Amino acid sequence: MNEIIRISNLTKDYGEGRGIFDINLTVNKGEVFGLVGINGSGKTTLIRHLMGFLKPQKGYTSIMDKDSWRYASELKKHVGYIPGEIAFPEVKRGIDFFKLQAEYLGIRDFSRANELIQRFNLDADAKLKRMSKGMKQKSAIVNAFMANSDIILLDEGSTGLDPLMQSELTNLVKEEKQKGKTIFMSSHIFNELESSCDRVAFLKNGRIIDIVDMNTIRGNESVKEIKIEFIGESDFSNFLSRPFNIIREQTEFNQATILIPDKDINELFNVLQNMNVRFITQKPRTLEAYFKDKYNDAEAV
Amino acid sequence: MISITLMKQTVKANISLALIITAIQALCLVLIASTGQPVKITGQIFYSLLPGMLTSIYIIITGNKLLAAQVDKGSMAYILSTPVKRSKVALTQAVFFIGSLFIMNLITAAALIIPTFILNGSVSPSEWVDIIKFSFGLFLLALAYSGICFLASSIFNLSKNAIAVGGGLVGAFLLLSIMSMFGENFHFVKNFTITTLYNVNTIASGSSDYIWQFAVLAGIGLITYFSGIKIFSKRDLPL
Repeated sequence: MNEIIRISNLTKDYGEGRGIFDINLTVNKGEVFGLVGINGSGKTTLIRHLMGFLKPQKGYTSIMDKDSWRYASELKKHVGYIPGEIAFPEVKRGIDFFKLQAEYLGIRDFSRANELIQRFNLDADAKLKRMSKGMKQKSAIVNAFMANSDIILLDEGSTGLDPLMQSELTNLVKEEKQKGKTIFMSSHIFNELESSCDRVAFLKNGRIIDIVDMNTIRGNESVKEIKIEFIGESDFSNFLSRPFNIIREQTEFNQATILIPDKDINELFNVLQNMNVRFITQKPRTLEAYFKDKYNDAEAV
Repeated sequence: MISITLMKQTVKANISLALIITAIQALCLVLIASTGQPVKITGQIFYSLLPGMLTSIYIIITGNKLLAAQVDKGSMAYILSTPVKRSKVALTQAVFFIGSLFIMNLITAAALIIPTFILNGSVSPSEWVDIIKFSFGLFLLALAYSGICFLASSIFNLSKNAIAVGGGLVGAFLLLSIMSMFGENFHFVKNFTITTLYNVNTIASGSSDYIWQFAVLAGIGLITYFSGIKIFSKRDLPL
């Protein structure tokens, strides 16, 4: 294992149940790690600790085996960051902002920045103050990736982007992963995390309720969730008596939802052949569905 | 020790206000000086109140902009996402603040020296001493004021709090010093404001009391700046 980020027993209590509590997780080199949770669940607080902006009350966070509070400035040589709130320094145009940041970072070669500017279709000569939310976000993305940092922290990195640009960001994340970069991203857009992340942590009320390996969610698809509505009640009750794994019955609509492994699918068709079916639909197993289940489970406890 | 990149950025963001305030101060001083009174009298008229007020406006606005406003807005995140230490950021801002006030006072002093030179053909050694005492004293008062605002700016996440505390204190000091001029009944309030430590009459009278008063102002400045840098380097920043 090539551990690159470690969060150990991290606690920051802001009172009234807000904050983050006893967070433990590690991210390996070359991994894309997602953080998901509703607003106020603690995603930003966690990332701010990694950036060394917040001092842990208990526990610690480290990047490349260095404490991220103590070695905050030194670690910035290896870390790119998109803050959750976009507010630029007092410079005129997008390009002035990139030049300023490049000067801080000691970057002389602008080819990477230009490549990103083109890729995201950004008008770098536009005035920062006049930029739309999406344009500002694109500027923040260019800034975070232009230094070719080994580690990128994205706090809601796709906020304000149109769907096309959102998927461009997802592609960029995948490409960076291919280059061996490590990416730690928070989001509430499941689609974004689903297609790019290796693992996703669920945060609720400042605690991690689960960390899933995306492969297991993607792999789950060999068992499918299928919903069938029957035209008559007799067929419906007939169907219920069959040996299928029925997970939900909605009697008022004559609907049944079953979980069925791919190998048994023909048996289902055999049974349905002699019945009056209104529709049949497959519900894809998504990160979102998984999250909702987990979230509700945690609620019930 | 300081970040040149940040210094350039800070100069750009704050120079216009500094120039405007300096221009007004210098212009007033030139006008008063050109009436041809002795330097001592001109100094007493000008330095007694006007620059204190004008400089305070610059100090309150700029003090907030240097740190608190950038944390409040969130733009500080971009500086601190580069390998620049927080202490370096705070030190750079402090150096700018002190330096800009020094230069402002230097230019203002020039606005007294040049008309005197033109009118009298020369500036006598005693006039030099008075001018230096007047303007260096004002610089020390500005150092103390700005230190207070800088400290407030380093402590608070919100501009409004930084201005309320830093600007509030400086404003209160100024108001009290003005109040103390309204007759014997209010004279005692001068003991509650540091503005009293820069007393043009004491300076003009030739007494040496100004020395300890200047030292106290310098002390306030040093302590507040030093703690400001320390606090900003160690505290939580919501960026």
